[in-house]
Amino acid sequence: MTRKKPKIIKERVPTPEVPVEERVKSFVEVNLGYDFASAVKEAERCIQCPPEYASCIKGCPVHINIPGFIGKLIEHRDDPKKAVKEALKVIWSDNTLPGVTGRVCPQEEQCEAPCVMGKVGDPINIGKLERFVADYARTHGIEEELLREFVSNGNDIKGKVAVVGSGPAGLTCAGELAKMGYKVTIFEALHKPGGVLVYGIPEFRLPKEILNKEIAKLRELGVEIKLDHIVGKTITLEELLEEYDAVFIGTGAGTPKLLNIPGILLDRIYSANEFLTRVNLMKAYEFPEYDTPITVGKKTIVIGAGNTAMDAARSALRLGSEVTIAYRRGREDMTARIEEIQHAEEEGVKFEFFLSPVEFIGDENGKIKAVKFEKMKPLEERDAKGKRKIVGTGEYVTLEADTVIIAIGLEPNKIISEEASSLKTNPDGTLVVDKNLMTSIPGVFAGGDAIRGEATVILAMGDGKKAAKSIDEYIRKKHLSA
Amino acid sequence: MGYKITKKENLSAIDFFMEVEAPHVAKSWKPGQFVVLIVDEKGERVPMSVYYAEDGKIGMFIRRHGVTTFKLWYEKNVGDKILSVAGPLGKPIEVKHYGNVVFAADAVCAQAECYATLKAMKEAGNYTIAIHSFENRDNVYPERFLAKSVADEFYITTEDGSVGRKGHYLDVVKELIEQDKVDIVFAGGKLGSLKKLAELTGSYGIPTIVTVRQIMVDGTGMCGSCRILYDGEVKFVCRDGPMFDAHKVDWDDVIKRDARFVEQQNLARERYIAKLREKGVI
Ligand SMILES: Cc1cc2nc3c(=O)[nH]c(=O)nc-3n(C[C@H](O)[C@H](O)[C@H](O)COP(=O)(O)OP(=O)(O)OC[C@H]3O[C@@H](n4cnc5c(N)ncnc54)[C@H](O)[C@@H]3O)c2cc1C
Ligand SMILES: Cc1cc2nc3c(=O)[nH]c(=O)nc-3n(C[C@H](O)[C@H](O)[C@H](O)COP(=O)(O)OP(=O)(O)OC[C@H]3O[C@@H](n4cnc5c(N)ncnc54)[C@H](O)[C@@H]3O)c2cc1C
Ligand code: SF4
Ligand code: SF4
Ligand code: FES
Repeated sequence: MTRKKPKIIKERVPTPEVPVEERVKSFVEVNLGYDFASAVKEAERCIQCPPEYASCIKGCPVHINIPGFIGKLIEHRDDPKKAVKEALKVIWSDNTLPGVTGRVCPQEEQCEAPCVMGKVGDPINIGKLERFVADYARTHGIEEELLREFVSNGNDIKGKVAVVGSGPAGLTCAGELAKMGYKVTIFEALHKPGGVLVYGIPEFRLPKEILNKEIAKLRELGVEIKLDHIVGKTITLEELLEEYDAVFIGTGAGTPKLLNIPGILLDRIYSANEFLTRVNLMKAYEFPEYDTPITVGKKTIVIGAGNTAMDAARSALRLGSEVTIAYRRGREDMTARIEEIQHAEEEGVKFEFFLSPVEFIGDENGKIKAVKFEKMKPLEERDAKGKRKIVGTGEYVTLEADTVIIAIGLEPNKIISEEASSLKTNPDGTLVVDKNLMTSIPGVFAGGDAIRGEATVILAMGDGKKAAKSIDEYIRKKHLSA
Repeated sequence: MGYKITKKENLSAIDFFMEVEAPHVAKSWKPGQFVVLIVDEKGERVPMSVYYAEDGKIGMFIRRHGVTTFKLWYEKNVGDKILSVAGPLGKPIEVKHYGNVVFAADAVCAQAECYATLKAMKEAGNYTIAIHSFENRDNVYPERFLAKSVADEFYITTEDGSVGRKGHYLDVVKELIEQDKVDIVFAGGKLGSLKKLAELTGSYGIPTIVTVRQIMVDGTGMCGSCRILYDGEVKFVCRDGPMFDAHKVDWDDVIKRDARFVEQQNLARERYIAKLREKGVI
């Protein structure tokens, strides 16, 4: 059957969202995603560029066959289950967490940026389509069905691998290895698996249910998860190497950078990690029903403009505060996903640009009461990342605030590298790896934010997948030579 | 899932002892390190010092402070489980030959650390001096829980003199220093006392290493809740400590930060006590 020459439809099929008045009062997910009919409608906008040329594929860091999976939705439009199952098969060969990436990837910089449809209208809503496939599969038992087909019958265990950290890098690496027939054990420092996906990104952006399902899937594949285990403290890397054929380190970049300016110890100044961990992981928004407290005043200033800053700002707003984001650069330099910036604006978060904090001012009880900023101005010159350089103007402003959240970045946690002194690190604390993602210790591999510094979920997953391949090769070779 | 409680015993009017199965922690724990535990699904992550670690179990001394510790006392019995025990966390103390080593304790966490530290110090050939301070007779622990068995010299003080010497460890430390009997002091407990101790030993130039208590969340260096100013630099107690040179700590800030959630803690405590009353537990 030949398809009619597609009619160019410039506008995206919209996805419904929870109205602003409702969502600022709760942590329910904001975007409701497509149903099957609207997903097919959006899919049909895709002109199905041949995979060899499709620019969207090049934009995706793990090169998902995007026209391939979109094509399945169109092809089997009369059989939703089949359509989704076939589409999921295509996605899974490159990405095992589409329910997550469809929600959190910066699509406007990745897959959707080069989409040819973007030249005549809106690019295809690839993220939401990917999310739709994952959600529909999850809620209709399709995922389980496919999983059973994917798993190699696990009688012949090929070897044992330890995975350190259960963020997207660790989860992906573990899943891939388990599918290849390895016995995998994940060691996670916290009491819940998921890394940033569980302690950082809020419920209103990534419902925990999705993550729980992913974890359940891994357990079904035979992956064991040891929580409360801090590698480097509870068990050393050396001990892991004695027991396992190889180790993957996916410990992320979990240590917050704090501003080295006066007043940093004042009460109600939180790092975004402390704030988000209290709120998301420990459910402080349900205090005192839950035991972990958080205090948020009437006026919150969030410093920074990445995803972390947006998440912190929108969480503080939901806890009843007025929120201003203060950023030392300009609007166009903000690094957060566009959708998050839009949602923050809709919900009433205010933005102040070209302000760089120089001092936190406290009251007599040691609580923050205002932040003093220096006004900055942009130069024509650009830095290595292509952002305009900024300089101080020597002019200052003071903004009142009874809560401050610092979201200026994260660096790798040094617990493992301090303990295992032969593990080579770069000056910024990231681990040194070769092209196969092997660290300076043979048999120890690493990926995700632990080697990149703060990056993205999809890059962490890409690393996890690549490392799984390298680990498989490494173990095969080891067994051959043994 | 969960970690089984294997022993539980009251120690005094305010504190109790609990032993929990946590083989992963017990295997690698060293004096100076602590754990972070969570009682149940709704629980907070709270740090606890370790009294001993052996046979896959860890012993802890716990004060009935607020919701978490009330839950441990009123709801959890031998055979029950608690949700999470993570650790060991923090850096161990440097155990070596110092000469005469004092450990001074005036609150629950330090009473536990006193035994653990001096045991290791004695094995390393030091002359060990234990000072346990309590407010009054009702708060004093049975002697078998104190550091007597590992101390060459052993003191108990109470503020009212009802047990042991009248006074506080600060008085004993001062006397011992004046007798030229102290090469190093380790201490922990009330932050106000540690500040005074730092002033006291500072004036004599005696090295002093103390546990700095700060409010924690993860305990692994991920959140910065436990940050302090140390020698002018921001340090995370859970990762860089919890033991620090007392003379380099900015004590006033440490004390202020310990009170960050007082209002919420009080609210939660009152709410919990009301529930206990309702159920007729108290
Ligand atoms: C608030 C926030 C919002 C973000 N939003 C987005 C977004 O919208 N889109 C996007 O693409 N990216 C986003 N990111 C970035 C993204 O989350 C990270 O790049 C990604 O999670 C990195 O994955 P990872 O597996 O390398 O590490 P992590 O997700 O950081 O996981 C590391 C895990 O290792 C554990 N661990 C650390 N040390 C040890 C140890 N010694 N022993 C045992 N376990 C250990 C940690 O507890 C953690 O669970 C966001 C980040 C934050 C903080
Ligand atoms: C390194 C370290 C070792 C400790 N060792 C012991 C110990 O051996 N025995 C013991 O009883 N207590 C110890 N503590 C204190 C212990 O964490 C608190 O007793 C516990 O958090 C009280 O919780 P709660 O809900 O019962 O009381 P709350 O009413 O919540 O608090 C009572 C007191 O505990 C402190 N506190 C509350 N939450 C935390 C938290 N998340 N982190 C740190 N402190 C908190 C508060 O500042 C307050 O002073 C230690 C703390 C640290 C940092
Ligand atoms: S993984 Fe991310 S970048 Fe790749 S197609 Fe999916 S949403 Fe786009
Ligand atoms: S570039 Fe756009 S139109 Fe072409 S295949 Fe990819 S999503 Fe479809
Ligand atoms: S408790 Fe989070 S960094 Fe120390």
